[in-house]
Parts: sequence; structure tokens; C-alpha cells
Amino acid sequence: MADDRVVQPDAARASDDVLRIEHVAKRFGPVTALRDINLHLRKGEVLGLLGDNGAGKSTLMKIISGFQKPDEGRIVVNGEETDLRSVDHARSLGIDCVYQDLALINELSVYHNMFLKREKLIRPLPILANRAMKREARAALDQIGVNVPRLDVPVARLSGGQRQAIAVARTVNSDADIILLDEPLAAMGAKEGAMILDLVARLRAEGRVSIIMIAHNYVHVLQSCDRVNLIQDGEITFDRPTAETSVEELNEIVVEEYRRARTAAIGAEGRA
Amino acid sequence: MSDVRTESGAPTRAPADPPQHEPPLRAGRRPGAGDIARHFLTMREGSIVVVTVLAAIYFALQNDHFFTQANFENLLPYFAPFAILAAGEVLLMVAGEIDLSIGSVYLFAPFMFYEFNQAGIGLIPCLILALLCCAVVGIINGVFTEIIGVSSFITTLGMLLGLGGLTLIISHAQPVAMPGAEVTSKTVNVTQVVNGQTVTLPEKVNEIGTFARIFGGGIYSELIWALIIVVAVQVLLTLTRWGMYTIAVGGNKHGAAEAGINVRVTVIRNFIVCSVFAGFVGVLEAVRASSVTPDTAGASETMFRAVSAAVIGGTLLAGGQGTAVGALFGALFLGILRDGLTLEGVNADYLDFILGVAILFAMVINVYVGRVRKGSGRG
Repeated sequence: MADDRVVQPDAARASDDVLRIEHVAKRFGPVTALRDINLHLRKGEVLGLLGDNGAGKSTLMKIISGFQKPDEGRIVVNGEETDLRSVDHARSLGIDCVYQDLALINELSVYHNMFLKREKLIRPLPILANRAMKREARAALDQIGVNVPRLDVPVARLSGGQRQAIAVARTVNSDADIILLDEPLAAMGAKEGAMILDLVARLRAEGRVSIIMIAHNYVHVLQSCDRVNLIQDGEITFDRPTAETSVEELNEIVVEEYRRARTAAIGAEGRA
Repeated sequence: MSDVRTESGAPTRAPADPPQHEPPLRAGRRPGAGDIARHFLTMREGSIVVVTVLAAIYFALQNDHFFTQANFENLLPYFAPFAILAAGEVLLMVAGEIDLSIGSVYLFAPFMFYEFNQAGIGLIPCLILALLCCAVVGIINGVFTEIIGVSSFITTLGMLLGLGGLTLIISHAQPVAMPGAEVTSKTVNVTQVVNGQTVTLPEKVNEIGTFARIFGGGIYSELIWALIIVVAVQVLLTLTRWGMYTIAVGGNKHGAAEAGINVRVTVIRNFIVCSVFAGFVGVLEAVRASSVTPDTAGASETMFRAVSAAVIGGTLLAGGQGTAVGALFGALFLGILRDGLTLEGVNADYLDFILGVAILFAMVINVYVGRVRKGSGRG
């Protein structure tokens, strides 16, 4: 593998970084999910994160969103090193995540899901301001262009794509300025997927928020992202602006990894 | 999205339809009586309300004494305490857990109340201290379930047995007279007009103290507490963050945690509330009866009836859905059955058998109405 593709921790620094991950590692018992992650995110940037299943993408997302704690390493948010204690803490720093499993509550209505943990209350009473939440949820969904007929039905009754759209809308509509999208195109039809990509493009044009997006489709990543990182076996092994790479190059790297793994496996068999 | 995304490969259509916020059927039509009836039936509480009303009508037709004030007063202790117990249980069941220990807490609280009173503490502080003890029981249940990770069924089963045993130990298995519930008799002169003449005669009147009147002794005391608590729990469940997080944890624990909800706090505080309600009912019932017997078997039966009331009322054992108003009607249904069958003069040996069949029958109706509800788009 060419050395220029590998990120050096010192290189992964810029004055306008809103997020820096340095030497982050995470193990689950005997399984090492993240070996040594170095990653940075600039303000207003859309960073595509590619990688095989099990490479550690989702674990990295969960660490950045405060859901899990890293075993080692530093996390720097807006120039300040921080120990992300909880999802609430990460959110207070402006980091919000759309998880792969969406974290929607089937039993709650669409608008309650959209305002989960950001509820509006009828002050000074501790009573939920359902009317206001419904109105704002409608406005937010209309703005994104999601067509959900009724907001007071439980989300269990919606299609996979609608559910995904609501999870994305929930995060985009929050005050977050660092948004993590864990496979936002999963469970989406072509039209709904285009809607999400369209939304990402709009956010990218606005430049207010910075986004890390996990995706499997290289074409989508090259289309929607400013820069692409590849995560392999718990490490970032590739970091380049999308303008300087291509579907062919990304393919080649992954095939190369596959070949290397094959060779190693055959070697191990030979020794055994 | 109102524009057409050709590059996405989506079929090109002429200007897309505007988002439809309401189903087309509903637009421009006022709801008629049929719609309202349908709406009511498809509420989560609707089916048990219907079943309860049907049961009441049946017994009223069978027996002239059913719809009398005297019988209503008879009915109250059959249902009001269970409504409170069930309301607490609903809160916990919606969070996806269950508390079997409420039976023992219900027995434990009045004995703690008695012990504190023996130590020379006033009635109201005694009540508060007894309820604090129940809160501790709730915390222990919650910690075992949510932090150590024992299933709540096992945790609270252990607590049911253990706390029942503890109650036997502290009571020496002897019944005690409930402090503050003493009945005092006094003679008052009552003036009446008899045949145009004013007659004043002494008459014996039984009286209970203010504490007893408020906390269980008064005829409608338990009913009023039940209504207050059920409404409070219903508001909590449907209109506050607490309720929303409870539903979220019961519906999707992992998702709730990812969304940033503190699952442990949510579950443990519901355990505490459930336990405190059970203790409170224990004290109410002990005051009403003016004595309390450490009957652990009866306590378990009380727990089962409360859980039944919650489930009959439309609360799911699996969590995520539930209603305190439904639980109130579940308790009322069980109360009406028991009272009505007793009024009918049904042999005591047949009572539980008929109750069991009736509960199954009511639940079958519940399930069918539930299917109509799902079809109508209300969860």
C-alpha cells in the first residue's frame, strides 16, 4: 500500500477542524473493533467513511456520539479535548448521530420521535407541548421534503424509508453542527435515497454543519462528499479529497485488501 | 419532495402531488356518530370500558340491588385498592418490567407504619416513613433489575417472598390494630320532630379520626385516592417526559439509550413509584379494616389481581404500551364480577372458576377490538 494514502496523526490537523480523533482504540473483550483511529473533520465538510462490514465504522460512530467510550485515544471537539461522557454530553457539544438502527421508538408518534430528548414543554408546567412539537415536526419534514401523511401515528406504521427519513430529519432539525449518518441510505428505495442525498447536498452547500457519512456505495460517496476515508481492520488506511480519487481506485484498494487477507489465510493454513 | 429528481432514476412525473397531511377520506367531512363510536372503541381503553359496562348492565338486569348506593359502597373495596396497585404496575409494565413484590410491599407498609408509631412518632410522619421504606424496596428492585441485570420477574419474585418473610418476622406473625384507625363511640343528643313534637334522645355514634377518614377509613376515601392516582399516572404517561421516556424504554430499550435517554433512571424511578403506591394501598386497607394481619398468601393474591387489572385494562406485558385509565376499568370489571356474582348468591366454590372464565372471555374481546384498532391506524 502506498504510504501517501495512510493518514499520519500529525497530518490530520487543520486549524478549522471541528472534530479530531487521535489514536482511538476500542476492544470488546477479545475482539479489537478499533485499533488506532486518526480522523479529522473540517467545518462544513462532508466526510465519507467507507469500509467493510465489521471494519469498525459503527463503533467509531458510537464513540463520537458518546454512546460508547474509547479504551484509548483523544477526542478533540472544536479545539478542546473532551471525554464524551454520554449521548447527552456529546449532544450538548453539538454532535448528533443517526444510528444504523435509527433509534426510533415504534410505540411513539412520529412527532414525539422527532423531539425525543429535545421535547418542548408548556412552561412552567412539565407538560409536553404536543401541538407545538407537531407543528414544528411538520415544518421540518416539509422542508426536507418527506411526505408523512399523519404525524400522530406510531412510527411502527411507516415504511422503512419514511422511518429513515424521520431519523435523519430529527438529527438535522436539532442544533447539532456535527452530524453523523450511519448508513443513511440503508432500507431506502431509489427515490427516498435520492431525497436523503439531496438533503446532504443542501447541507453541504449551506456549509453550516459538518457531516460524517457512512455508505457502501462508492458512487454516492464520490457524489456527496468532499473527502473520503477508508477504514480497514480498525484503522483509517486512506484519506483523500473525492476530487482526487475515483471509484476504480477505491475498488482497487478493497480488492487488494481482500487479496492480502486471502494470502494471509492461505499462509496460515500452510503453516498449520 | 415536490420536485422531480431525474438524476436519481426515479420515474419522472408531472409536478408531484403536494404532501397530503390527512387521509383523503377525512378531508371536508365532519365526524358522525359512527366515527365517534369507532374512535372510542379503538382507544386502548375502549374495549375494557365496553366490557365493564356490559357486565354492569347484566348484573343490574339480574338483580335489583346492584344499582344501589349500598351495593356501590360494597363494591368499592373490591376495586379501588386494585386500581391504585394496577396504576403503579402499569407504569412499570409500560417500561417493559414487572413488579410481583407489590403484594408483600402492600403487607409490609402497614407493619412498618405500626412499628414507627410504636416508637412514638406521629401518624403523618409514620405514613411518610413507611412509604420511604417502600421506596427503598423499589430502589432495591430497580438496582437488581437494571444495574445487576437480573430479570425483573425474578428480582421481584425474590422480593415478594423475602419481604413477605420479613413482614412475618417483624410482626411475629401476629395481627395488630392499626394506629390512627381507632373507632370511638360517643353519645350525642339527637333532636327529632316526631308527630309534631320535638323529641331529644341520646344516640350512640361511632366516629373515626380525621387521619383515618382521609387515609382509607372514609367510605369514599379509597375511591378518591384511586381516581387521583389513576388520573395522575395517566397524565404522567401521556403528557410528560417521564411517560414518554417510559414508553421509549419499554418499546425499544437500545434505541432509547442511543437517543440519550437514561434507561436506568427511567426504570428505577418507576420501580420506586410502583412500590410506594403498593405501600400506600397497604396502609389505606389496614386503616379501613382498622387492623392488619400478616397474611402472605392473601398478599400474593392481591398482587395477582392488580396485575390482572392492568393487563385486562389493555397494558401489554411486553412493554411500550399501557393505560392507567384502562387499569382502573380492569379493576372495576374484576370488582363488578366479584360483587355481582356474590350478590347473585353464587356458591363461593364456583366464584373463582367463573371469574377465571370471565377474564379469559374479556381478554378475547380485548384482542379482537385490538385488531380493529390496529386496522384503524391507532396504536
